[in-house]
Amino acid sequence: MNNPDNINNNNHTYDADNYLNEHEEISVKRHPYLIKSENTSLAIEGVKTISKEEIDKKDSDDVAFWLIDMHNWQEGWNTLCTIRRNLSPKIYLKPVLFIVDSSNIPDEIINASDGNLPLSNYSILLLEEWVSRVNHTNQWIANLHLDNSDSNIAFRVLRIIASRHIELEPVTTIRRHSGYVYPILEPLFTKRDSGILDTLSFLESQHLLSTRFISRAHFCSHCDSAFLNFKETCTQCGADDIHSDELVHHFKCAYTAEMAQFRKGDRLSCPKCERELKHIGVDYDKPSIIYNCNQCNHSFQDPKIMTECFNCGRQSEPENQEHRTIYAYTASAIGRNAADYGMDTLFTNILETELNLFSESAFRDFFRIELSRINRYNISNSTFALIHFGDIEKLYIKLGNQARNIFQALSNIFKSVLRHSDVISAKNETLFLVIMTETSLEHSQIACDRLKKEINELFKSNLDFQPQINILTKAFTDNLELDPILEKFLNDVS
Amino acid sequence: MFLENAFEFLAGLSTAQLIAYFWPFFLLDMARYLLLDFIVILLYVPKKIYQQAKYSHARKQLYKERPLVSVIVPGKNEGKHIPRLSESLSYQSYKNIEIIIVDDGSDDDTAVICRKLEKQGKIDRFIRNEIRGGKASAANTAFNFSHGKYVVHIDADSHLEVDAIETILLPFYMNNKIGAVGGDVRVANNDRTFATRLQSIEYIKSISTGRTIASELGILRIIAGAHGAFRRDVLQRLHGWDIGPGLDGDITLKIRKLGFQVVHEPMAICYTNVPETFRKLSKQRFRWDRSMIRFRIRKHRDILLPSAGFSLPNFLASAENIFFNLVLDVKWWIYVVQMLMINPALLGYIFIINYILYFLANVFEFIIACVLLHSSMRRKDYVLFLFMPLIPFYTGIFLRIVRTYAYLMEFIHGASYNDKWNPWKVSRIAKKEKL
Repeated sequence: MNNPDNINNNNHTYDADNYLNEHEEISVKRHPYLIKSENTSLAIEGVKTISKEEIDKKDSDDVAFWLIDMHNWQEGWNTLCTIRRNLSPKIYLKPVLFIVDSSNIPDEIINASDGNLPLSNYSILLLEEWVSRVNHTNQWIANLHLDNSDSNIAFRVLRIIASRHIELEPVTTIRRHSGYVYPILEPLFTKRDSGILDTLSFLESQHLLSTRFISRAHFCSHCDSAFLNFKETCTQCGADDIHSDELVHHFKCAYTAEMAQFRKGDRLSCPKCERELKHIGVDYDKPSIIYNCNQCNHSFQDPKIMTECFNCGRQSEPENQEHRTIYAYTASAIGRNAADYGMDTLFTNILETELNLFSESAFRDFFRIELSRINRYNISNSTFALIHFGDIEKLYIKLGNQARNIFQALSNIFKSVLRHSDVISAKNETLFLVIMTETSLEHSQIACDRLKKEINELFKSNLDFQPQINILTKAFTDNLELDPILEKFLNDVS
Repeated sequence: MFLENAFEFLAGLSTAQLIAYFWPFFLLDMARYLLLDFIVILLYVPKKIYQQAKYSHARKQLYKERPLVSVIVPGKNEGKHIPRLSESLSYQSYKNIEIIIVDDGSDDDTAVICRKLEKQGKIDRFIRNEIRGGKASAANTAFNFSHGKYVVHIDADSHLEVDAIETILLPFYMNNKIGAVGGDVRVANNDRTFATRLQSIEYIKSISTGRTIASELGILRIIAGAHGAFRRDVLQRLHGWDIGPGLDGDITLKIRKLGFQVVHEPMAICYTNVPETFRKLSKQRFRWDRSMIRFRIRKHRDILLPSAGFSLPNFLASAENIFFNLVLDVKWWIYVVQMLMINPALLGYIFIINYILYFLANVFEFIIACVLLHSSMRRKDYVLFLFMPLIPFYTGIFLRIVRTYAYLMEFIHGASYNDKWNPWKVSRIAKKEKL
């Protein structure tokens, strides 16, 4: 078992300065590169040219951004896809600008680039302004540890978002069945890749992306099209040939019927007492609305809502269609760290390998069984512990590229304090749940104190950082319930 | 000792003195409620037997024609009763019915319950009026969306005997001058409280027996909202119900004015829930009793006048009601004052003798009801006999005080126009228009 104290004695002495040094600006003069198109031979002052085939061989460190001529926008789009689908981070992450001279390019195409240069207003100054504007992205790419090519589509998406420090907002479109597109991500995906929404959803589930609610939308459960016609239909025959009318209640004589019965030219007159209806709320009101089916004459109030897909034509009830939330995405602190140093630096990934973390559902089963066992035999003690790391964002910033080693050391602390018989689960990167079997409350508190002390020492000696660690221990008693404790604990620590 | 003295006092009275001391009983109530009932029942029972063939023929005609019958149920916050009602309707021997529920602006879960029943096909149509318009408006909404040749109006807190709809329709096939038929209303919750038991006896006497007799005499003045059947063409001529409270009595008189007959069918049985406390009961009766002043004396005063459309049965239907309820209510207070003036020392004896006379009269009426309704009486209905000694107090004191108060409030203040039973905006118009 490694002692965290040993870490200082090996070759890996981690401190935050290393991380900051690595992110210092690397002073390189970068130039825009125009990618030659097949049919035109555009030449722009101050811009170097390169063919599509040469991109792979190019040392892209001196590339400020790729320029694509969108005179033929379909060809330009193919060029963009070629760049974004390249496996080398130094190529696919590079900013791309379009040269545009017409306005008939679809929005989702135009917005797929990092920016657009209008050929009519072109100037060297504008070019330089763009070089400077994309500098932070180039700097971020330059600082990457580029040992491998990026083949994982989710990771590529994460890196695109993280490299640009952007909030990725969806754009509505009528040109795609999905109705929403994230333009900058579109060229990354081939038909073989899983959908953009699924990929973003996966990254969010891993806490690598943070979300902001944009909208909720229905999608066809059969073909995933967002283009659905919501129709009010007759509850009896299902026809959508229906019309609605207001009910009118005449106070004086209590006559109540559809508005059509009261209408006499441009006046309202009661068919029962023949009085004219003058003021709504004074001599009459409209208590409800009635629908009538023109096909079967059925009257009803709650028309059945049906959806019909414009794409595949299938009809279904709205509740049977996919109902998804559409988000805007930004890289979370964990996501930025993962984008910098790779997915395998994540704490839970390391702990999962080292400690054999159980899923939350399996943990709940263990919890229930342990509770029953303790209550049934009443001869031994077990304890339930919650361990929470606060300020996780600050922690990840401090960790930088040392995350993997630090987390390795952290998992060693967990291993040294906890036993093989203990059951551990992670709710997320910050909250760990532990069942300490056959351990009294007193002994568990001693173990937890030791855990806290050793973690503090690890961070203090390596990062000069005092993490905020909250630990709660509870003995297994017959009234112990997981969810209320969890809820209260999270409220207390937040 | 007191009873012995009372009987000695009674035995010492001459016939003239007996009538003088107990004239309300001997001259009025005995004549109206005992002798008349007895005579009519003597005629009714053989007639009923004689009419069995006619009933049988009517039933055949009904099933031959098999008309659609609309069962309409207007109400507010009645959702909890609807599942049981719809279940009782699903067991009806007559099947060609459509059930229309109208929710008059409920603020509970009535809409949720009824929409579910509608989806399950247990009711045919549910219409929710978001804004409360009063019971008449709800009934008219239901009527407007009904299609049946006959319309049966039922209160939501009621349920029907399996053959109730079939039976209530039969009179229409026996006499085409009949515009509406009143069903019999019995107390569903008659073993719940003391108040419901006393009401149960009252219903058996006044609705089951009383309305059968009034119907036989051709002077039936009310078809209960809890259970009544109407011809669609008649309701269309009237454009449905007018503003209540008392809309059931009002529409009955309007149907009579059109020249149609209205009858009571004691074997078309509906069970309804009655107020379980005396407090709630007094509120209900306060509302019912006021409508007598508002509708019979104000709105339908023309029935009492010798106008061109004068009809003796209509006159009698209204006059009987006004005389025996309003005039004789005043009579009681005159009687009490009279007895106080003659000899206050005898009040105790007079009270106990009156009590015994009215107790015996009630027993007699109950026996008549048992003879009349024996085939439809439940075991628990006979148990009510044990509560008969309390009926003189219930009808003679409790209901009389409520009735007198209701009449006074309606005469002096027009209290029915301020009743929350109708929405204020409707009451305001009714008061302004003197409806």
